[in-house]
Amino acid sequence: MRVAFVSLGVALTAGAAVAEERPRIVAVNYPLAFMAEALVGEAAEVVFPVPDGVDPSFWRPSIADISMMQSSDLILLSGAGFAAWIDRVSLPRSRLVDTSSDYFDRFIATGTITHSHGDGGEHSHEGTATYTWLDPELAMAQATAVAAAITARDLAPAADVGAALADLTAQLQALDEEAESALADAGETVFIATHPRYQYLARAYDLTVLSLEWEAGAMPNAAELSALEAMVADQGADVLIWEATPPDAALEAVASLGLASVTFPPLAMPPQSGGFAEAFAASVSALAEAVPDGSTN
Amino acid sequence: MIRCLAVAVVACALGGPAAAHKLVVFASTDCEMVLVEAKFSNGNAAQQGEVRVLDGQNTVLTTLALETGGTAQIALDKVDHSEGLVIEVDTGGHDNYWILTPEDIARNCGS
Repeated sequence: MRVAFVSLGVALTAGAAVAEERPRIVAVNYPLAFMAEALVGEAAEVVFPVPDGVDPSFWRPSIADISMMQSSDLILLSGAGFAAWIDRVSLPRSRLVDTSSDYFDRFIATGTITHSHGDGGEHSHEGTATYTWLDPELAMAQATAVAAAITARDLAPAADVGAALADLTAQLQALDEEAESALADAGETVFIATHPRYQYLARAYDLTVLSLEWEAGAMPNAAELSALEAMVADQGADVLIWEATPPDAALEAVASLGLASVTFPPLAMPPQSGGFAEAFAASVSALAEAVPDGSTN
Repeated sequence: MIRCLAVAVVACALGGPAAAHKLVVFASTDCEMVLVEAKFSNGNAAQQGEVRVLDGQNTVLTTLALETGGTAQIALDKVDHSEGLVIEVDTGGHDNYWILTPEDIARNCGS
C-alpha cells in the first residue's frame, strides 16, 4: 500500500514536471486559441487568458496576466487592431506574432465611433474591422501563420503541426464551402447587425449587413428601437443579427418591426456549446434559414 | 465577386473630433522612479490630468497630478511595487493606462 502511494506520488510529481515543461502559447482571442490547440495537441499549453463572459475586445488584463504572458513562449496576436491592451504593456517582441501579417491588404476600413460599454471604459471602432476570422479564407491564412510561428520556435514537432494544419485547413475550407452554398441566395436580403462585427463575413459571402451599436445581448431602449424602425423603413431590412441572445422582450420588439432575429456569436470568445467550426456552421445555417422565402438551397 | 457590401455605422453623433484624439499612456522605470508620459494620439502632450497608481489588487496606492508636458514621476520607494503597478491617467475626457509588471521593474534594476 505504501509502495503504491509512493509510486502514485512519483507519478504525480513526474506528471507535474512534464506539465511544467510544456511550452506556453497565449492567444488573444478564442479563434486563435482554437487554432493553436488544434495545431499543437498536447505538445504545448494554450492559454486564452480572458475570463468567461468577458469580451476580449474590451478586456483589461491584470498585472498577473501580463506577467504570465511575459514568461510565455509565444503570444498570438490577431492583428487588425484587435485587443487594444497590447499597446499598454511591455511584451517580448521576439515572442509576439501578428497572425494577420499575410493579409494586411484584405483588412476592411471602418468608420470611427468612440463610446463605452459599462465599466469597460471608452473604446473606439475606428480604422479597421477586427473580426477577420469570420471570413474562413482569412481564418485559413491565420491558421497557417499560427503553424509557422509554432514550428519556427520548435514548440511542437513540425511534422505533427503540418499534419494538423492540413486537417484544420480542410475543416475551414469545408466551412467556407458550406457557407457559400447556404448563403448563395442571400444577396438580396438586407441584414442589420446589433454591433459592427460582421464586415468580413459580409464581404466573403456578398451580404448586405448594416450595423447598429447596441449592447450585446441587452434589451434595446426606446431610442434604439426607434432608430432601428427608421432603418428598417429606409433600408428594407429583413433580418436582425444579434451577437448574443437578448431577452424575449427584445425579440418580440424586433419581430413587431417585421424583422427575423438570428443570434450569430462572433466567436471572439468561446461559444456556449461546441467549438469554432460547429458554432460558425450553426450560425450560418440560422442566417440562411432567416432569409425570406424559405430555404436558400 | 463582390456584388454588394454596405456596412453602415449608425449613431455617428458619438463620433467626431474627440474620437480622433485617444490618450496614450506610457510608464517606464529606472529602478528609482516611475516616469509617466501621457500624450494624445495626435502627439500633443496632455496638459492636465490625474495620475492614479494601483497595485496588483487594483488598490489605489497614490494619486498625483500630471505636470507640464504630460508627465509625472513616482518614487518607487514610496509605493509597494512588489506585485507590479498599474498607472492610470484620466484627463477628464479621456483615460488610459499602462501596466508595469514586477519583471518590468526588476529588469530595469539590473536584477
